[in-house]
Amino acid sequence: MKRRQFIGANLGVLGMLSAGVVLPISAEEAYPARTVEVINQFGPGGGTDNFIKAIGRPFYKITKRTLVGISVQGGGGVPAAQTFFSRPADGYTMMAIGPEEMINDALGRIDSSLFRPVARIQYDQGLFYALGKGKFKSIQDVITAAKANPEEIKIAVTGAAGFDQVVVGLWNLASGGKITPVPFGSAAESIAAVLGGHVDLLYEEYGPARGMIESGDLRPLVIFTEKRLPVLPAVPTALELGYDVTLGRWRGFALKKADSEAHAKKLYDILAEASKAPEYKAVEEKSALQYRSVLFGPDEFATFLNEQRLLYKKMVKELGYTK
Amino acid sequence: MLDGYISAFEYIFSGPLSILLIVGGTIWGILFGAVPGLTGIVGVALLIPFTFALEPTQGLLLLGSVYVGSTYGGSISAILFNTPGSPEAACTALDGHPMAKQGQAGRALGIALSASAIGGIFGTLALMLLAPPLARVALSFGPAEYFALATLGITAIASIGSGSFLKGILSGLIGIGIATVGADPLTGIGRFTFGNDMFLTGVGFVPAIIGLFALSEVLERFSERGVVGEVIAKTSTKLPSIVELITLKWTLLRSSFIGLVIGILPGVGATTASFIGYSEAVRWSKTPEKFGKGAPEGIAAPESANNSAVGGAMIPLLALGIPGSATTAVMLGGLTIHGIVPGPLLMLQNKELVFSVFVGMMLANLLMIVFGLKAATIFAKVLDVPYALVGSAIAVFCITGVYALNNNMIDIAVMLSFGAFGFFLKKFDVPIAPLIIGMVLGPIAETNLRRALILSDFRLDPIISSPLSASLLILSVVSLMYGFYGQYRRFKRAQMQMKRL
Repeated sequence: MKRRQFIGANLGVLGMLSAGVVLPISAEEAYPARTVEVINQFGPGGGTDNFIKAIGRPFYKITKRTLVGISVQGGGGVPAAQTFFSRPADGYTMMAIGPEEMINDALGRIDSSLFRPVARIQYDQGLFYALGKGKFKSIQDVITAAKANPEEIKIAVTGAAGFDQVVVGLWNLASGGKITPVPFGSAAESIAAVLGGHVDLLYEEYGPARGMIESGDLRPLVIFTEKRLPVLPAVPTALELGYDVTLGRWRGFALKKADSEAHAKKLYDILAEASKAPEYKAVEEKSALQYRSVLFGPDEFATFLNEQRLLYKKMVKELGYTK
Repeated sequence: MLDGYISAFEYIFSGPLSILLIVGGTIWGILFGAVPGLTGIVGVALLIPFTFALEPTQGLLLLGSVYVGSTYGGSISAILFNTPGSPEAACTALDGHPMAKQGQAGRALGIALSASAIGGIFGTLALMLLAPPLARVALSFGPAEYFALATLGITAIASIGSGSFLKGILSGLIGIGIATVGADPLTGIGRFTFGNDMFLTGVGFVPAIIGLFALSEVLERFSERGVVGEVIAKTSTKLPSIVELITLKWTLLRSSFIGLVIGILPGVGATTASFIGYSEAVRWSKTPEKFGKGAPEGIAAPESANNSAVGGAMIPLLALGIPGSATTAVMLGGLTIHGIVPGPLLMLQNKELVFSVFVGMMLANLLMIVFGLKAATIFAKVLDVPYALVGSAIAVFCITGVYALNNNMIDIAVMLSFGAFGFFLKKFDVPIAPLIIGMVLGPIAETNLRRALILSDFRLDPIISSPLSASLLILSVVSLMYGFYGQYRRFKRAQMQMKRL
């Protein structure tokens, strides 16, 4: 009996699905008529996956359609992008994009002009930290020491040839005191390496390091934002010190270039509404992402992506990843 | 501390929901562990949205129980079908499946279950009693120490392999070589990708072991024409007697300790723990030639190590806010969304949560014995079906499971090639254990040596002179020589016997 109910339910779902497949032409206003998939390079349960789930709940309430993350992990995001570009441009596959896509573009591994920007939703902020009981009491200590002995100070970063290294590279150029990035496989490993005294400094976003700042294990030295963070009033911005480094990790959605402008517009409207929903706002705040996450629509996001593309091209060259 | 436990017990036993979550989580975990392609990480990640409807403590009780169950579950399919349901069970297949083939499937399952429970309880006790100091000790492991630890594990290859010594070394080197494919872990540059950027992901460990174990087994069985009937009999799980457990006491104790230490270290988890647990069991055994042919130590060692690593991985998560494994990293993401700030103050600010998790994980380990027996019996029913059907089903599961893991077609290609590769390795009598040990530990040694070199400005002496890494490296050299000597002695003995005949 139970099995029959189960089959019945399945048939119902199948019926709905096939209706969705057959009827998308019926009217553009009915779009999205079925599940929208979001390809991303991160694993289940990671920050991006949680982001898709968090915005997926209000997305469902608005559209009665689900937003589902598809993880294609590893390889610096290239396999994820290739999977995305091989999908049809029918408005039902988006990609969650971030700085990694700009870096891959700069490295010539993907062509980011093939993205149709939909919305930038999150804009995170990062800091340099030193061991709470260590020798570096302020960012000035670091700059002085780095100028005296270039490349001797080591900084733990997460990921190979990734966003973190670009920030460190920008800082090195701006401050004139060179510090050496040491890439670790995960944030857990890099934080542990600094706490254990194996590496001098750490680059990490604010959210994951909050608990360590509160307990005094990590000392925040400098923040890469336009304004000081209200929760860290004593931590100077790089900008105040005269170094123009405000780069942060961001998360947004894109369709394929070949997809229609109408789809992008419609998805933006839905995501804009979803990103204002209290349940999404709550998640954003708990992850400490509320400080400068200004929503960008398709046009603003496109302008932002163009700036980012140029910046990362320059940095990747500067860091010696390309000729 | 006592008041913490009292309130934790009150919390858990105050209503049916917490108990239900622990029971449900353990069962869910065993199933996710046992089915290839569904790993513990996926099991935990899928439940995270569900925990939003719960209190944070209840959510963590659920996720912790899933983690406990899934680490055991993989051994069921590893033993019965030579199909490791999750990566941490790969080592269990090495001896578990041969034992099952000798008609002792029930015994193998029983050893795996009791070793898992013993390791799990060991890890949880360490978590309950010593979490903050142990977490601080783990921080003394820097890149140099990780390198030395992985090197020590790799040198065990010298002791493995009863047949040809050369074949063992060759197999280990192939494993280390395969693991270098993909994006360079430090520079991101593609290595051995042959211009195909999809290969930047590297040769996935799960697709590789599913091919090496499960698919090659299917190929082998189908190639033995005529043998259609099932050779595995006596599948009702039999827990080992106290006497048998006592004979395994050193293996269990050593492996549980190794599992705990590796579990605590961030970046390495249950899989590495089971490999080092296994290789140390081989190294310290008086009869290393029996491994790979159904040695009880070969089942007890990886299973107690990987379950002990579960408690170990929770230690830095709860004491410092640093996840000790990939699964605990997913839990951390879930906690953050619940508004809990991970960090060293977690144990002070969320006492009830932390102590409830202690008690919950202990309960999950005890429940695992009950449900583990049941699950093994249910899975064993599959063996009543003719192998023509089971084998085909396993092949299908291999393909769908590997694809479901990462949505990458390359993984299927890797799995199929490793299936064929494993088939030929068996035909030529090349041991598989060194190959997978090389695949798991090779990259850890390589990346950490390079990290350590950057940190020391490319000088070798600071890396080998830190007390911890120096002791581990000296141990590696000693054990390498001991391994070679043991192999030589066995070779001589075999020669003498030949002469006598």
